[in-house]
Amino acid sequence: MKIKKNIFILLAFIAAAFGISCKSNGTASAADEKVTGEEIAELSYAPMVPKPITRNHPTHVIVNLNIVERVMKLADSTDYMFWTFGGAVPGQFIRVREGDEVQINLANLAANKLSHSIDLHAVSGPGGGAEASNVAPGQTSTFHFKALNPGLYVYHCATAPVPMHIANGMYGLIYVQPKEALPKVDREYYIMQSEFYTKGNFGLKGLQEFDEQKGINEQPNYVVFNGSVNANAGKNALPANVNETVRLFVGNGGPNLVSSFHVIGEIFDKVYLEGGEMVNRNFGTTLIPSGGAAIVEMKMDIPGVYNIVDHSIFRTFNKGCLAQIKVKGGRDTLIFRKN
Amino acid sequence: MKVVFAILFFISCLSCESQSKINIAAEKKMVKVKGGKFKTFYVSKTDKPLLVEPFLMDECAVTNKEFLEFVKANPAWSKSKVKRLFADSNYLKHWKSDFEIGESNKNIYNSPVVNVSWFAAIAYCNWKNKRLPNLAEWEIAGNAPPQNIQYTSITDYIMKWYEKPSLPVLPNVKTTYCNTYGLYDMHGLIWEWTFDFNSFISTSDSRNTSNNDNNLFCAGASINVTNREDYAAFLRYGFRGSLRGNYCISSLGFRCVKDLPSNKL
Repeated sequence: MKIKKNIFILLAFIAAAFGISCKSNGTASAADEKVTGEEIAELSYAPMVPKPITRNHPTHVIVNLNIVERVMKLADSTDYMFWTFGGAVPGQFIRVREGDEVQINLANLAANKLSHSIDLHAVSGPGGGAEASNVAPGQTSTFHFKALNPGLYVYHCATAPVPMHIANGMYGLIYVQPKEALPKVDREYYIMQSEFYTKGNFGLKGLQEFDEQKGINEQPNYVVFNGSVNANAGKNALPANVNETVRLFVGNGGPNLVSSFHVIGEIFDKVYLEGGEMVNRNFGTTLIPSGGAAIVEMKMDIPGVYNIVDHSIFRTFNKGCLAQIKVKGGRDTLIFRKN
Repeated sequence: MKVVFAILFFISCLSCESQSKINIAAEKKMVKVKGGKFKTFYVSKTDKPLLVEPFLMDECAVTNKEFLEFVKANPAWSKSKVKRLFADSNYLKHWKSDFEIGESNKNIYNSPVVNVSWFAAIAYCNWKNKRLPNLAEWEIAGNAPPQNIQYTSITDYIMKWYEKPSLPVLPNVKTTYCNTYGLYDMHGLIWEWTFDFNSFISTSDSRNTSNNDNNLFCAGASINVTNREDYAAFLRYGFRGSLRGNYCISSLGFRCVKDLPSNKL
């Protein structure tokens, strides 16, 4: 009897210990940390990422996002009426910390014609906030969520017709930084792939209209990084130096295509698959679903221009899907040389 | 009674005036809309259509000038007096003061009045002995084809409106197109209030599948909504779904309707 009792106590003790250890590893602990203070989130436009959060506690974060309908360049001589979060495509990058209580203030500018909303994939709750945030022109909607799960997530508009709102540019990324932040790197950039469906063919001059049928057929004229052809290529290439580690926060806004994300001439040292916790190392092309993301890291060994592409390669050569990293510095001939 | 019928006959016989001529009479012209069976664009084939009786509709949206007369006659609806419950802080924000549109705004006297709430629109209609159209009436009226412009499809026409940035000055009424009923600017100038603007949608997340709205979500695959006609309707219904009765929006105005006397018999 006594032995039995002891065993019971022992089991209870083990269970309790287990419970504690689960708590400290799992997401439940994020909810347990005390939330103190308040701050306004620093938002960034692509290709920049807000600086890493150094806080060691969750806080109340206020995110002020404006919805702007505006004509911008889709290519050199091609304009398009974009619907945007923050006046740009992709929308502003939001960075919060695991456990943060996030307040989203979504302002639909008075000059806009349409209603909009936001569905953040980082939200645990109905519609990812879409229902709570639906907002008419001239109005502001507010909702709150707790960032329970760390990771990189897409956000997008979810007002009818959803495919059209996304096709017109309404998406961006939110990064819920884990309590234990990722190791510091030299450079962080924000890249988002997406496609556009226009009446006129690729490169046709002037203001282009949305083509719904091409959207339904999943046959875009444009597939681009960061909202327009050559947004981050040529003179706008992403700068880096030899021996620096570059971390790309990559999203795919879709609305339709899956990206075979690849950097020509580099090998991914580390990829946080689909923006989550699982890390894969030493490979060349990672798949990013529509409405999904990935965190990609690589050390730049050799100077030169590195083309970022969707390796579904017609998209790069014929539809504009190209960004570049321009690496400066000395050449290590043991790693790469001619002859 | 005969006189009334004579007037009605007269009204229904009139077609559109020449487009360039802007003639807003003291008593706004109304035209007859035939009515008929109405189905929202997202319903399934088994849903029964709604029967809409014929009715009279203002040929164009209520203008700033017309609305000013209403405010003068009903000071409770002036900018400074109106209750926030009935109109938010954007109410008539483009006007100079309570009873002045403003000298600098004189090119909008004959533009549709916007920044007016649903409550204010209803009050105006009542004052005119009219009412706001319900959604089915408005959609039937709005779906009539244009008769005085070149167009490929009405949806293309509407979509082009979305693709143009808002103009700094809202154009006058009767500056877009006239449809086969003789109604002006049903699309392409402003949004318009309907009496039951929020009746069709119980949730503003358009992908919700827990209720009748799932046809709205499944649009891409639904037989009813595979044509382009419906994409514009989607946007219109989505817009209405985000409204509340006290909202005042710079692209949202209204026009009134009236039952035909014969309906009452």
